[in-house]
This record gives sequence, structure tokens and C-alpha cells, in this order.
Amino acid sequence: MGAGSAIALVFLTSLHLFAATTAPAATDDRTLYEGDSIYHHITIRQEGGERCMIFGRQRDLRQTCIDLAKPDASVFEYTSMMFAGFLFRPDAKKICLIGLGGGYIPTVFRMHLPQVQLRTVEVDPLVEKLAKQYFRFALPSGQTLSIDDGRQFLKKSRERYDQIWLDAFNSDYVPAHMTTKEFLQLAKSRLNEGGIVIQNLFGDNKLYDAQIATFQAVFARVFVFGGQKSGSCIIVASDRPACEPAALRKQAEKAGGKIGRIDLIAEAGKCRVAPVRKNAPILTDDFNPANLLLMQKK
Amino acid sequence: MQIVYAVFMLLLVTFGAVVMSLEILSSNLMSPYFGGSIYIWGSIISSFMVHFSVGYVLGGYLSLRLPRLSVLAAFLVVCSLWVILIPAFYRPVCELVADRIDDVRLGSLVAMNLIFFVPVSIMAMVSPYIIGITTAGRRPSWLTAGMVLFISTVGSFSGTNVTAFFLISLFPVSRIITGLGMICLAVSLFTLALRPDRRIEK
Repeated sequence: MGAGSAIALVFLTSLHLFAATTAPAATDDRTLYEGDSIYHHITIRQEGGERCMIFGRQRDLRQTCIDLAKPDASVFEYTSMMFAGFLFRPDAKKICLIGLGGGYIPTVFRMHLPQVQLRTVEVDPLVEKLAKQYFRFALPSGQTLSIDDGRQFLKKSRERYDQIWLDAFNSDYVPAHMTTKEFLQLAKSRLNEGGIVIQNLFGDNKLYDAQIATFQAVFARVFVFGGQKSGSCIIVASDRPACEPAALRKQAEKAGGKIGRIDLIAEAGKCRVAPVRKNAPILTDDFNPANLLLMQKK
Repeated sequence: MQIVYAVFMLLLVTFGAVVMSLEILSSNLMSPYFGGSIYIWGSIISSFMVHFSVGYVLGGYLSLRLPRLSVLAAFLVVCSLWVILIPAFYRPVCELVADRIDDVRLGSLVAMNLIFFVPVSIMAMVSPYIIGITTAGRRPSWLTAGMVLFISTVGSFSGTNVTAFFLISLFPVSRIITGLGMICLAVSLFTLALRPDRRIEK
């Protein structure tokens, strides 16, 4: 190969690189966006009136979906269960949400809980851009967004919250460094008196048991909302919860029964005290076989 | 002389395996302080490359000046003791760096170098040092430079897989690192105790 053709080859190859980064491929008419950030392969697809953000290559792992006609309707069971966590701390004024996705949760806050200060933390700048572009995510006054790793954010900022919502997911699961006892102790140290931590997770694997055990090692009271239509589960943890599961329904009625389209009374019925998990390891920064436990189905 | 070759192989396999095992484990040490992003892997891999380069140059240079296995083994004792101590000092080091440096890329790079520069550079001396010693002997041998790299890479292959697929799931990271340090120390002391240089001279 002559020097001229070698240079041409290098030039063409670099052109291809630029082409790949600037023009996200639309593989079929329902795929609105497909591209890579430094964290994930991200796809945005639309089926009917539902638009979803997907991390990784498995198309069933939908991170966020919104109903375009009703952006405050909870497409997934877990999001409405997370709002039921509100019943434990109904007077919450300041909330930190870790994990933005398409921004469904901040949208509900914007539409129905404008009095609450919401601080969202998202690690991936591309997710923010896509949420704004495709999911009508907007920041009203009273809401702020920080682009940072959730754990680093809590460590650096000394702010305290009434509730911390943990919804950080990568293409596999909850990032391992946000499953450990040290991380939960950090989150707890950023809570106001009587504050709660809410964690979104799935109940079909052994990592779930380990996460429950880890929460129980850090918080005095740990409750679980079990999904009825899905494998989703929500952990609500606090040292001094304002309410017990048995009184939740009453609390939901007192709160008016609804946050937007979310039926708090129905969600309240899914709550129970988390049973003690024997033989489940407590996850620490030092010992954290999260990947292995996630693969072990129950 | 056969026993000397066995010692060479033992050193190559052991340190080839441990170096990669440490590389895998270092992501667990870094992620609580600097996040779990691709940046961490960038810092880990680039730091190790720098340590390897330093070790290769130093190992080659020293093997010309002091072509004795006991010198290498003495360095390896220091390296092993350092590895044994990593679980005791990595937390304060990472805390200190993360508090002072906001950028996770720079922070993880600095922390990686503070923790791993000394032991990994010394481990990287093993292959060039052994090549230097066999060359100084001026005897035809099956242990060519290519074979030295091959044996060390087979060690690295096993170290990577055993750590990522099994050890991390079974034991706390700090205990794995201490265990690796103990193995390194035992191999280094064993090498010294055998007095291999006398056997080479014969």
C-alpha cells in the first residue's frame, strides 16, 4: 500500500468515527434515538403513545417510560409505589432524587408537588439532554439538577433532606457502590430528623435479600412495598418513621388519597415490615458480590 | 540449574497473576470514592501501564548492573509487604484525595498512583530481570525472552479470571489483597532461601 492510499484510509476511518458520533442511527421508525454515552448504550423508542428510554442492548430493560398524552401517569408500578413512600413523611419539604432517567418523577413533582424542593442527581449528561429533548423534562423553580455520581454528590454536599429517593440504575442494575452499608450510612447522615430513604429494586434475585439485610443493618425500621403487577419492590427505611404500615391507609386518606394520577390508597396496601433475611450477607465496600447475587434467582 | 528455572517460572506465574488480580480489585477500591464510571477504568489501566513502563526500564537496567536473583527477590519482599499493607491505608488515602480533588478522573489517577506505584512497578521488574539474568549467563536455553513473557502472561490470564469470576464473590476485597501479599511474600522469601545465584554460578 502506498503512502497516499494509507493516508486516505486513515482519513476515511476517522470520518467514520465522526459520522458515528454525530448521527444517531434510527434503525426503524419506532426508534427515535440510539447512541452511546460514556456510561450506557441508550435507545429511545416509542410504541403507540408510550415513549421509553432503554439502557444497554436488552430491549426489555426499560429505564423510564412516559405516556405522552398523560405525562404524570405512572407507566411502571415502581414509580407510584415510590410516591407512596411520601405517606411516611407527608410534610417533606426537601427531597433528593438520585437517577433521572426520562424524568418521570421530577415531572410529577413539577405538576403536583410544586411546594417541594426537589434536587435531582444524574451521573450522565446525555441522559439529561435526552430527557429534555424527548421526555419533556423541564426544571421549574424549586427544582435543581446536578450532574454527578449519586454517592459522590451526597458525600460532597452537606445538605440534608427529608427524603432521599434512590433510583440510580445502569444497564445491569443498581450500581454496586450504591448498594453498600457505607453508602446507606452516608445517605442516612444526609437526612433530617425522621427522614426516610426510598430505594427502587427488583425482588426476584438474591441481591434483594442482601439489600434488605444491609438496610436493616443501617436503619431501625425497614418496610417493603411489593409489586402486584410487576417484580418491582420499594424499600422504605427510617430510624423514626412517622407512620407504621397498618396506619398507612388512614394516612393516605388524610392526604387526599392521590398525588396527581397516583392512587396512594391502593399503593398503601402493598406495604409490610421487611422480614429478617437470614443467611443474606450485609453488603459493604469491602465485600460486595452484587453481580453474583443478582444472577442468582430466587 | 533445573531448580533455578523452576524458581523463574514460579516468580513469573505468581507475579504475573497477582498484578492482574490487583488491577481487577483496584476498581472495588476506587468506586466508593470516585464512582463506578468508565473513568475509573481509564485511571486504573493507564496507571498500571505507567507502573509497568517504569518497572520494565528499571528491571532491565538493574539486571545488567546486578544480574542476581537475590536482588530481585529483595525488591519483591518490599513489594509484598506494601501489598499486605494496602487494606490498612487505602481508605484514608482515597478519602484524602477525594476530599481535595473534585474531578474524579484526576482524583482516581492520583489515588491509583499513590497506592499502586511502588508494588506494581516492582512486580513489572520480574520479566525483564529474569531475561537479563538468563542473557548474562550466556548459555543457550529454552527460556527465551518470548517464553518469559508467555509464562508471565499465562499467570496474568489466570489471575484476572480467578479474581473476577471467583475471589470477589467469595471473600472481602481487603482479605483477598492481604492473601495475595502473603503469597508474594512467601514466594519471595522462598526464592531468597534457595540461594539461586549460587546455583546459577555453578
